[in-house]
Amino acid sequence: MQALTLDMILVLVMIAVAVFLFIVEWVRIDVVAILIMVALPLMGLVTPKEAFCGLSSNAVVSIIAVIIIGAGLDKTGLVNNLVGPVLKIAGNSTSRIVTAISITVAAISSFMQNIGAAALFLPAIQRVSKKLKIPMSKLLMPIGFSAILGGTMTLVGCSPLILLNDLMAQFGLKPFGLFDVTPIGAALVASGIACFVLLGRWILPKGRAEESPTGSEPQDQEASAPNDGVDDIYEMKTPSDFTHYREPVTVDDLRERYLVNVVAIVEPPDYKIVAPPSTMQVHSGVSLGVFGSKAAVERLAKEEGIELKPQLEVFAEELTDQESGKVEAVVAPRSDLVGRTLNEVEFEGRFQVTTISLGRHDEKFHSDVANMPLRVGDVLELHGTWKRLQYLHQNGGLLFTTPVEVEELKTDKALFAGFWLVTALMMVIVFKIHLSVCLMTGAVGMVVTRVITIDDAYNAVDWRTVFLLAGLIPLGMATEKTGTAAWIATGVLQGIGDVPPIVLIAVIGLLATFFSLVISNVGATVLLVPLAINMAKASGMDPRMAALAVGLATSNSFLLPTHQVNALYMGPGGYRSTDFLKAGVVMTVLFLVVMVGMMYVMYGI
Amino acid sequence: MTVITISRGSKSMGTAVAEQVAETLEYECLSRAVLLEASEQYGIPEIKLTHALHDAPSLLERLGHRKDGYVACVRSALARHVARDNIVYHGLAGHVLLKNVSHVLKVRIVADMDHRVSIVMRQEQLSDVDALHSIQKMDKGRMKWSKSLYHVDPSDVSLYDLVLNVPRFGVQDAADLICRGAQLKQFATTTDSKRDMTDLVLACEVKAALVDEHPDVEITSKGGNVLVYCAAGERHGRKVRGVFDSLRKDIDGINNIEVHVGATPPESAV
Repeated sequence: MQALTLDMILVLVMIAVAVFLFIVEWVRIDVVAILIMVALPLMGLVTPKEAFCGLSSNAVVSIIAVIIIGAGLDKTGLVNNLVGPVLKIAGNSTSRIVTAISITVAAISSFMQNIGAAALFLPAIQRVSKKLKIPMSKLLMPIGFSAILGGTMTLVGCSPLILLNDLMAQFGLKPFGLFDVTPIGAALVASGIACFVLLGRWILPKGRAEESPTGSEPQDQEASAPNDGVDDIYEMKTPSDFTHYREPVTVDDLRERYLVNVVAIVEPPDYKIVAPPSTMQVHSGVSLGVFGSKAAVERLAKEEGIELKPQLEVFAEELTDQESGKVEAVVAPRSDLVGRTLNEVEFEGRFQVTTISLGRHDEKFHSDVANMPLRVGDVLELHGTWKRLQYLHQNGGLLFTTPVEVEELKTDKALFAGFWLVTALMMVIVFKIHLSVCLMTGAVGMVVTRVITIDDAYNAVDWRTVFLLAGLIPLGMATEKTGTAAWIATGVLQGIGDVPPIVLIAVIGLLATFFSLVISNVGATVLLVPLAINMAKASGMDPRMAALAVGLATSNSFLLPTHQVNALYMGPGGYRSTDFLKAGVVMTVLFLVVMVGMMYVMYGI
Repeated sequence: MTVITISRGSKSMGTAVAEQVAETLEYECLSRAVLLEASEQYGIPEIKLTHALHDAPSLLERLGHRKDGYVACVRSALARHVARDNIVYHGLAGHVLLKNVSHVLKVRIVADMDHRVSIVMRQEQLSDVDALHSIQKMDKGRMKWSKSLYHVDPSDVSLYDLVLNVPRFGVQDAADLICRGAQLKQFATTTDSKRDMTDLVLACEVKAALVDEHPDVEITSKGGNVLVYCAAGERHGRKVRGVFDSLRKDIDGINNIEVHVGATPPESAV
């Protein structure tokens, strides 16, 4: 075995630092990647040109183009239009619904970012759950897993596969085609769906059905103890002596004391405000539009001597379904809200909506919600005018699970969007032009034909992913260039001994699965591809297969809710980490078996 | 109709003033009774409660949080008493334990050091140096207690509504002044302040019930809606949630109870 050189030691230190920072998350992972990008040339491990070549790599250009194409399809409502027909085909059976939505989500996910595909179906799934009284927990996990698995169906389905050809180029290996992975990906999706259809009753948590729109069935017992009954809008009027001989009463006081939200108020003389600020004082003789359970509102009326009107009078217009309403919105992964409180981001002032409650796992919080640090997957129940809710939808970093007419969809451009997607694919398949060029052609085509404006395209790009990819590519290069990858590979091979290729692929798959759970899937790919190729070369196996095993197995991320899709669905599904562990163990094993089996069948490893 | 807390430096004639005020206003005068009630209700020996209110927690006690538990029990008993109104409390830490209730008149009784030394010399037959030493030791102990448990300096005048140097006034005049203060409208019990008091009683009871197992939780209550603030750790939060059912059963008046993990408790939390 070759002796360790100083450069190899430095690369190993950099890898250790990167892995450590990925795990502890003291700084964001994209920042870690940028730090590495800068540190490597400073240490002389790569040239300055190599350090920044990630930014102009095919992988980075491809991911930018894929995101723009996805945003274009979204803008025209082309993808959204699939929801209705799919649900129609699915009918009323849970298995059929899971199967139909999962296949659709997986197909979309093979050309869009997984998280985008998963978010797209969330409102529809919630509606189905309510309508057919199927617990969300029975639907979301299979569909979420399918979104992740769908990413393995094409070479642009997920970041690791997008990155794969670039990492292989250093070794002079023949790149994979767009659909080379499709048979394996399709088998993975099929096995995932079959697994939940057959074993779902044992591996999925039982859960409760969503409350129906008519509110006829009982609510969540734990959450609704003080608030039995369905929340609704009521109108009240404070007495003429309401503020006599007492401290000023604010909107927030009524919420904290009675769990009743003032969603509209008349400010003297007669100025109506929907979603008043929580610090607003409630004066004598004013009308209030409140949202709460009947019991809570009656308690407020009784204890404060406020008149409860039998129906909406003053707010008959403002609080009707046409003007305002209640929505549920999920804190999205990478949202600016994560880790911060609503008060810290001045949510109320910026968006002028009322926060009714916050749902986390199987709990619902009603008090002091604005001071709770938010997490990915938290479900906020919000009330406001549709106009303000639309503004929030566009700018608030939240995924709405209740549909809001956000913006006029450019349905007339749907044909163009479809055309450019097909053009990009045809260029890849028929003309064998380089993937990044084809995808960028599709993206630019959408901009030129005004499917999406160039500013919207820039805004759609997830720069964190871009810099994560670009920053880690030089680390992969340094690992290979300094001989570190070969050194580790030799060590690992000496450790496991002389094994058949199929076992080696399984070992690589296991390593990739493990690394993608503790560090990001992109990080795992960058570190493991050079290693796997060296291991394959040393044992006389096809190195392309080893690289492919890494690219695929880094999507094997089901054990923990660390994957973005799992984090997104955790809150609305009311899942706990143990739920992911239970279903994830089965899925992880199945993934590895199917992947290795398919590679054996397809490529004869 | 008010509540008066009288905080005093040792040997400052605070007890005499408190008794005089209670007699004049025909209020109940409380000190040790609170400890007895807490001792009875929570099954803790009175000596331990007295010790908890007198001495700052040692390093070991701080780690074990036992003293926090005792103080929470005393606070709960005091809050229940005070909710009945018309009370003069001259036990320890009343001004801290009832700091957020508007109809509580918080009085600090002080006396110059020479006067205090002469009292100790007379009562305990000590030399002037020993008497001074003894008073300084007591003052230091109380300061340490207050700072370690509530992060406040008891000699900080902003904690009180009224500070009186009793030897300058005499017990009777000092008591008269306090009585006049107590009759001002800003210290009168109102519907709102009574509600705040009810909220405080509930928060204190929940705290006393939780403090043994969860010493670092802080509680607020409004209209029966109890919030348990838990510094960090989802597991810890789940453990707290696990006792909600028994809390609802044991403590009257809980309308809703939530545990907020990682949120910063408000200043009014107990």
